[in-house]
Amino acid sequence: MELVPSAPLSSGPLQSPLLDGVDYAATEYMLGIDEAGRGPVLGPLVYGCAFCPVSQEPRLRKMGFMDSKVLTEEKRDALWAAMQDRGTNGFLGWDIAVISAEEISKQMLSTNRRSLNALSFDAAIGLIRAVLERGVHVTQVFVDTVGDAAVYQERLERLFPQCAITVAPKADSKYPIVSAASICAKVPRDELTRAWQFVEAGGSLDRAYGSGYPADEETKAWLARSCDPVFGLPRFARFSWSTTQQLLKERAVAVAWPDDEEGGPSQSKMGAYFHKPGDKRATTARHRLFKRSKLHLVKELR
Amino acid sequence: MFEARLTKGELIKKVIEALKDLVTEANFDISATGIQLQAMDSSHVSLCALQMKAEGFDHFRCDRSMPLGINLSSMSKVLKCCNKDDIVTLKAEDDGDSINFMFESKDQDKISDFELKLMDIDSEHFGIPDTDYKATVTMSASEFTRICNDLSILGETVAISVGKDGVRFSVSGEMGTGNMTVRDNTSSDTKEADRVEIDMEEPVNLNFALRYLKSFAKAAPLTDRVSLCLSRDVPLLVKYEIPEFGSLSYYLAPKIDDES
Repeated sequence: MELVPSAPLSSGPLQSPLLDGVDYAATEYMLGIDEAGRGPVLGPLVYGCAFCPVSQEPRLRKMGFMDSKVLTEEKRDALWAAMQDRGTNGFLGWDIAVISAEEISKQMLSTNRRSLNALSFDAAIGLIRAVLERGVHVTQVFVDTVGDAAVYQERLERLFPQCAITVAPKADSKYPIVSAASICAKVPRDELTRAWQFVEAGGSLDRAYGSGYPADEETKAWLARSCDPVFGLPRFARFSWSTTQQLLKERAVAVAWPDDEEGGPSQSKMGAYFHKPGDKRATTARHRLFKRSKLHLVKELR
Repeated sequence: MFEARLTKGELIKKVIEALKDLVTEANFDISATGIQLQAMDSSHVSLCALQMKAEGFDHFRCDRSMPLGINLSSMSKVLKCCNKDDIVTLKAEDDGDSINFMFESKDQDKISDFELKLMDIDSEHFGIPDTDYKATVTMSASEFTRICNDLSILGETVAISVGKDGVRFSVSGEMGTGNMTVRDNTSSDTKEADRVEIDMEEPVNLNFALRYLKSFAKAAPLTDRVSLCLSRDVPLLVKYEIPEFGSLSYYLAPKIDDES
């Protein structure tokens, strides 16, 4: 799966650097995982993971890592800024996985449909694996629940038998390492969404899309005005959401898929046989290219 | 002004019933010789041509030729109020914006009248070329209706082939295939209503969308007989002649095999 953001993160790389002087294999590490942007109809879903030596957990508490939804935006930004600091990186590392709206749409609407939960599992597993592969000796993993906590926990235990796994609802308010992870998810997600660079509609789309949640009036209005009858919505929208599907049904032109139609002879039109008086059109047969590609005249120019 | 009175008012009702599935709105072209209508369905696959002769009416007056643009589903709703034996009178002023329908019961004890707004409909007539059809089948109108309805259970497209054995209607669909063959029986002493006359110069085999044929078949209550006229590479003509009144003709563009 592609885990690349569709807009640049101005704050830099998607993971913290591993520092030279630190022996990541010697100490026992704890790792937390949280997500941001699961519900919105717009923008990416971001997974954040944070890791620190088990012994350093109290230090995280002191820094003020709490549930990112409880923290103010300024506080979150300050914590995120601190996490960019080399001094902090000495004991607190992080990694981010971005699942773009485009990727969500693609996966959820593909022939082999994958649920958002399945995408979430993969993102979380990918993050744990990446940290382990970088040589960090992770012994404890804390994850915020997605779907059934027991099933999720069992799966992670099978994949990472070397780690003690804890999957719990509201993990971000219980474990500081998950709070740190939620900052890694929430702040970049907000930034990605706020600064989204539209490639569609010649850059004419505005960014007044509100919270991005389907129930937000501002979001609804933005979706409605950004919906082109032919090109539909920009890839910033999640096409697998019922909100978008309903909107496209109402506002966009319906597409007729010739492949869905029954095979066999194709229907000819009356205009091919009867002509309006004064119609100077040549009566020679149409070239077979047009016939073969089933191209019909839609409108006559006079 | 225009004024037309028809004792068999039911005819008008049946004509509209036979058109309204295919055409939502159309111009009724009124002239001293009668009423004509030509309209295509919305997908431009079929064309309906109605002719009601002035002589067919009990009274017919038209001072100036003009088109009366009417929404057929509205007209059909108005005609729902016309009883089977009612006498119908149509009236329109030369520069009016409405048409008036009056229904009188046979013994004059009930009179209803309705006014329907006229609409401006942009329509240009197609020149229908005179075609010397290679095959003409005349048969019972109700039997043709039945064939269309029965075959449409199996598929969407019917192949009509006229050969020396008769006329064969074939359908193939996901469920299976079906064929119905009707033979010329003019030499036997069949009742006139069930008679099948096949006039064939050369064999013809064409494909048509049953959906349209089923709509055409709604004209069956107008008359007993229907004619199917076919030639290669031209639209099928399904014609319902209404004795001493006029005719309702339907043209249907064939479905074409791209391979051929």
